[in-house]
Amino acid sequence: MTIGLQPDLILDARDLFCPSPVLKAAEEMDKLASGQLLRILANDQAAEEDIQRWAKRAGHTMIELRNEGRELTFLVRKG
Amino acid sequence: MADKKKIVYLQTSGTDTPERLYAPFILATTAAAMGQEPIVYFFIKGVTAVKKGEAEKIQIGEFPSLREVIDQAVGAGVKLMVCEQSCMLLGLDRGDFIEPAQVVGAATLNDIVLDADAVISV
Repeated sequence: MTIGLQPDLILDARDLFCPSPVLKAAEEMDKLASGQLLRILANDQAAEEDIQRWAKRAGHTMIELRNEGRELTFLVRKG
Repeated sequence: MADKKKIVYLQTSGTDTPERLYAPFILATTAAAMGQEPIVYFFIKGVTAVKKGEAEKIQIGEFPSLREVIDQAVGAGVKLMVCEQSCMLLGLDRGDFIEPAQVVGAATLNDIVLDADAVISV
C-alpha cells in the first residue's frame, strides 16, 4: 500500500540525462536519514532501469515506480 | 547497505582519441553514487588524459570539459592511479598529473585487479 505516503524530499530530475538523475538522487539521499522517503521525477527513459539499480546497490528500497508515458516517478526509502 | 564492490576502470586511450576519455569518469562517478569503490587506472597512452593542462582543452559536443568531469569524479571519491612505466615510456614526470592522481607501479595494478570485483577496459 503506497497511497498516501508523503516524501520527505522531492527531486525534479526531469530533462536531465544519464548519469545526472542517479548522481542527483544520490546527492539528495545524503540529506535524508535512514527510513525517510525521496520522490524522484524523471523523463530520461534510461532512468527507469538506472534508478532502480542505483537504489538496490546503494542499499535503498524502491517503494513505488510509475511510468506514465515519458514521465517517471519513483519513491525510494533510504536504507 | 549492500556490500561495497571494487570496480577498476582501465583507461588505455589518450588525448589523441578524446571521445574515448569521458566514459570511465562518468561510469566511476556513477559507481561511487551507487555506494561502490571505483578506481580509474591510467595505462599506456591513457596517462595523457590526466596530464596537467590537457583535460581543460578537451570538450566534445554538449558535454562539459573533460576537466569538469574529472573534478566531479574526484569529488565523488573516485581514486585515480597512473602507471609509472607508461609515464617513463612517454617521457612524463611524476609531478605532471592532476591532483590527486597517484603514480603507482606494476605490482599495484596487479594487486588491485586481483582484489577487484570487476575490471572494465576502455
